[in-house]
Amino acid sequence: MRVRVVKAKESSRNKKILIQTMAIAAALLITGVFILAIGHNPINVYSSMIKGSFGSAYRVKETIIKAVPLLITALGIAAAFRMKFWNIGAEGQIIMGAFGASFVALRFADLPKGAVLLSMMIAAVVCGGVWGIIPGYLKAKWGTNESIVTLMMNYIALKWIVYLQYGPWKDPASQGFPKIANFADSAILPKFLGVHIGWIIALVLVVVIHIFINYTKKGYEIVVLGESENTARYAGMDIKKIVLLATFISAGIAGLAGMIQASAVSNTLNMQIAGGAGYTAIIIAWLSGLSAPWMVVVSLLFAALIQGGSFIQTAFQIPQSAADIIQALILFCVLGSQFFIQYKVVFGGGEVRGN
Amino acid sequence: MKKTLLKVGALLMAGMLVLSGCASTATTTKEAEKPAAAGEAAEPEKKEADEAAKAVKVGFIYVGPTGDGGWSYAHDQGRKYLEEKLGVETIIKESVPESQEVEAVAADMIDQGCNVIFATSFGYMDYIEKISKEFPEVKFFHCSGYKTTENMTAYFGRIYQARYLSGIVAGMKTETNQIGYVAAMPIPEVIRGINAFTLGAQSVNPDVKVKVVWTNTWYDPAKEKDAAIALLDGGADVIAQHQDTAGPQQAAEERGVWSVGYNSDMSSFAPKANLTSAVWNWGPYYVEKVQSVIDGTYKSESYWKGFEAGIVDLAPLTANAPEGAQAEVDAAKAAIIDGSLNPFAGPIKDQTGAVKVAEGSAMTDEEMLAFDWFVEGVEGEIK
Amino acid sequence: MRESVMVELKNITKTFGTVLANEDVDLIVQKGEIHALLGENGAGKSTLVNMLSGIYSPDSGSIFIRGKQMNFDSPKESIACGIGMVHQHFKLVDRLTAKENIIAGNKGSFFTSGKEIEKKIISLCEKYDLTVDLSKRVQDMSVGEKQMLEIIKVLYRGADILILDEPTAVLIPQEVERLFNIIRRMKKEGCAVIIITHKLGEVMELCDKVTVLRRGKNVESVDIAQTSPKHLTELMVGGAVDLEIQRVKTENKEPVYEIKNISVMNSDGLKALQDVSFTMHTSEILGVAAVAGSGQKELCEALFGLVKLSQGELVFKGENITGKTPREIYKKGISMSSVPEDRLGMGLVGSMDIVDNLLLKEYYTQKGLFINRKPLKEKAKELVNRLQVSTPGIHHPVKQLSGGNIQKVLLGREIYLEPDVLITSYPVRGLDIGATYQIYDLLNEQKKKGVSVLFVGEDLDVLLNLSDRILVLCDGKVTGLVDAKNTTKEEIGMMMAGHTQETIQNKGGA
Repeated sequence: MRVRVVKAKESSRNKKILIQTMAIAAALLITGVFILAIGHNPINVYSSMIKGSFGSAYRVKETIIKAVPLLITALGIAAAFRMKFWNIGAEGQIIMGAFGASFVALRFADLPKGAVLLSMMIAAVVCGGVWGIIPGYLKAKWGTNESIVTLMMNYIALKWIVYLQYGPWKDPASQGFPKIANFADSAILPKFLGVHIGWIIALVLVVVIHIFINYTKKGYEIVVLGESENTARYAGMDIKKIVLLATFISAGIAGLAGMIQASAVSNTLNMQIAGGAGYTAIIIAWLSGLSAPWMVVVSLLFAALIQGGSFIQTAFQIPQSAADIIQALILFCVLGSQFFIQYKVVFGGGEVRGN
Repeated sequence: MKKTLLKVGALLMAGMLVLSGCASTATTTKEAEKPAAAGEAAEPEKKEADEAAKAVKVGFIYVGPTGDGGWSYAHDQGRKYLEEKLGVETIIKESVPESQEVEAVAADMIDQGCNVIFATSFGYMDYIEKISKEFPEVKFFHCSGYKTTENMTAYFGRIYQARYLSGIVAGMKTETNQIGYVAAMPIPEVIRGINAFTLGAQSVNPDVKVKVVWTNTWYDPAKEKDAAIALLDGGADVIAQHQDTAGPQQAAEERGVWSVGYNSDMSSFAPKANLTSAVWNWGPYYVEKVQSVIDGTYKSESYWKGFEAGIVDLAPLTANAPEGAQAEVDAAKAAIIDGSLNPFAGPIKDQTGAVKVAEGSAMTDEEMLAFDWFVEGVEGEIK
Repeated sequence: MRESVMVELKNITKTFGTVLANEDVDLIVQKGEIHALLGENGAGKSTLVNMLSGIYSPDSGSIFIRGKQMNFDSPKESIACGIGMVHQHFKLVDRLTAKENIIAGNKGSFFTSGKEIEKKIISLCEKYDLTVDLSKRVQDMSVGEKQMLEIIKVLYRGADILILDEPTAVLIPQEVERLFNIIRRMKKEGCAVIIITHKLGEVMELCDKVTVLRRGKNVESVDIAQTSPKHLTELMVGGAVDLEIQRVKTENKEPVYEIKNISVMNSDGLKALQDVSFTMHTSEILGVAAVAGSGQKELCEALFGLVKLSQGELVFKGENITGKTPREIYKKGISMSSVPEDRLGMGLVGSMDIVDNLLLKEYYTQKGLFINRKPLKEKAKELVNRLQVSTPGIHHPVKQLSGGNIQKVLLGREIYLEPDVLITSYPVRGLDIGATYQIYDLLNEQKKKGVSVLFVGEDLDVLLNLSDRILVLCDGKVTGLVDAKNTTKEEIGMMMAGHTQETIQNKGGA
């Protein structure tokens, strides 16, 4: 008897749902064993995770605040992924967007609030966008591998902020503590219904991106190019231009997420500004099948996982590392289920489908 | 959520962490139960006090893990002491970065019923200030900073006094007259410690030079150890530190030279190298302040006391300490307590040789809290 | 009689998921017999031989080799049993020499001397009339040489049951003749040979017996002597078909597209096309004959404006369009259509539906930033009706359609653009017979409408019957441009091999 892994034919919708449900069940089970092992009741912990993320108005707000950067970044990533441009650099693009926004916030805070915020957004989109257009250009011009270039540029962006924080942008008022000055009130996004208006920006972007990809010529070109470069060439598309546009849009949106984080959440620029959202958003974009409306749902679930994970740490006094493992186990099972959607395991016989 | 990808990798270490998680959680719960059980058996008065204590829930926010063996460990020891003495419920959150995240963590704790929050790292200051205004009914205590609000206390201890004493020990021990100092960040708190340490060393050995390396981190064992190795390579034979971990101690241990610890008694991390440590003793302070909240006598303040309050101390000298050091240390400590010795009394020169504190005068608290220059004998830059 | 049966398959059934690839198939091949396995694409030929060569194992049914029941678990066991398969795509290591390729992967004594191996190979070659340069690297070999090497490799391993999967697809007529001689030699030496093919001419010429498969079942096994191409076609298709390819007569052949001395570099910086000149006419089908990889792909792309010329000019109705992109050519009011060889990788977007695929050539003519799909929905419906595209609907991803239907969508879209020039590259490759003739009809229809059609084909019989003129390429150069009525298969084959029209005609004259 042989066991082989075979690429499955396209799974039906029901099968996908079944696999994913099983994955979640498996996740709860495996994680449950782990929780038991560290001396807690899994059911209590699970219900606390849900309570911790949706249990009160405050917690819902916190969950939404955590979902906003994930959602916006995932939208940006999806624009590039549609083109099969593997933008792993959203983390750096968020940081550079936050940098652009901070530049405006720190220099031009005396302008009226609306003007400050608007110029921060523009600066963020431009800075983030440029950070993405560089690997785009390199790819279009010399065919470099964008995953590696974008990944490496994350580190450059991060170290750039470190440099600013410890060097030229160090707040003189902080008595030597290496931090960048806090933004003035004019540079802080207002709240709506108790949560900063980043959530409205995010929802607007969902609609805009959905329309852009599905109902505009440029969006159509991006999708065609993603399917096949030869087809795009054959259809007479200007491939370089499309690559540059798509990478700019993708990274610019991530940059906007950086502006929102800097302005509304941290009120300054620091190394934690992206906090891994650029990586998490890749998973979100992927699990949503690159569909903008689905990203809303998946982002919220991820935010709940983060918020719930943070809640149980304090509620049960679970060490951070253990809480991280719980989150990772759940994630592992859900991502692992993708394998079973795309492949099937064949026992015995051992035939491989040819051609 | 930190890097999700890393997390998946962390899974592999699950096994190990299960064990360590088991151990630490188990002890926490046990100690939490102890005082409650004792309270029930005690007199009715005590019961009333317990009722009041139950209305208070205290959250502690740490910059590193409680197992760092240093800063966060010392605070967590204080927390356990608090639980034991007052029977109040406490919760903790470890490894919270000095960023916007601390705000969310504090808000989460308040959401879970905390009405007293101890935020134990300098970089939390602005965020705690901000959130203290959002939650006026919650009492905030921020450690090592200088900002206060109606409901936010700045608290710290005069650890420089203990540093001065540890400087005496190091100054007597060094043979190369070069002492390495692994320092976290160029902020007044750290600078003050370096200066006090240097002055202490110079009080017994005028030729001593103290070389400073900045790591720009509070908690990074590997980086701190590397910094200590660099200093040792440069000729130092005693390593002092202002870091949250025992990394520098281990560097000294491996090189067969000497070290002075900080935060908690670090002799167990480097039994052959450690001379002594400047240590924190937060417990009594936490008990006093939480009691004031229970009693309704809380008032925000800037708290900064030293040996006299027992909040700082010098760990017992180890067998590695030089002969005669104990007597010197005891004498100096007594003199500091009775006021006859002030480490920052003039004359004090800065690195350029200019007199900064004239003979006969001493630095005020305000001046010390804004320290931004090194005394003569320190080699390094404040940047 | 029984003793001479080399291969016997009985009631073989094989399914992939829900797809029934083979159902109750029987096959008997005798010693010294050349047996054709005939069927349309997807009839189950490859699946069947893959079970013989141990790549698949059947769900049910039995395999007897020389009368002994076998149960192959891997290709290794099949090889050990004397079965050798020559695949359509050669399995050779480019960097190694012929000899190294032959012995690679062979279990032999470690100390077998090189001389002994060489001796064995040479004796094999003499036996079967094969030639090979043992020290030549595979990367320097022609397709024909590679195939020869594959055959030697299989024989060296001791195979006396040979399976050849579409062996003539990559060969020019002269090479085909050579291969057939080798196969006949094998027959004489007592081997059993199974040939998978869909070319009826070859079956009639070479084989002794033929087994026809249709939709996974075997329809019939007959002696060649008792059948005819027409009969075989009917067996394959499952009904009567009209096999005539008509050359439609048209008037008004006028020059429309002049190709002047063009050269094109390929991605490795080598010349893919060299100094190519010819003129395309209205109301004409210009056939292009060439061995695979002779520059026909680059020619199609160059004419369509997709590749840069390193030299030469393209002139359409007196207007120089050299160096223009397809968009720019379109803006000049010239309508050029192209059906590329790689349908799903270039002509269409596989995951998109018919509507979005029609959009590919029209979206940029729409005004504004947004796309209007409405007019294209109508067009898609019309296309489906007119060309009888069998699809669940116009919103079905095209990659899930069958090959013939995919090609109809592609060709249909290009025809709807009302082109002046229609460039088609292997438009019937992989299509079943019904669809093939439908495509031929469509091309003729275009020709009647006055369109100048370029038809790159692989079947010389079809090229001769369908085209007005035939352009022959070899190594990126034009070796001949002949009138299809006044030429022969042999003549074209010579030109495909590199002999120019002049030398052939001189020879003929001498």
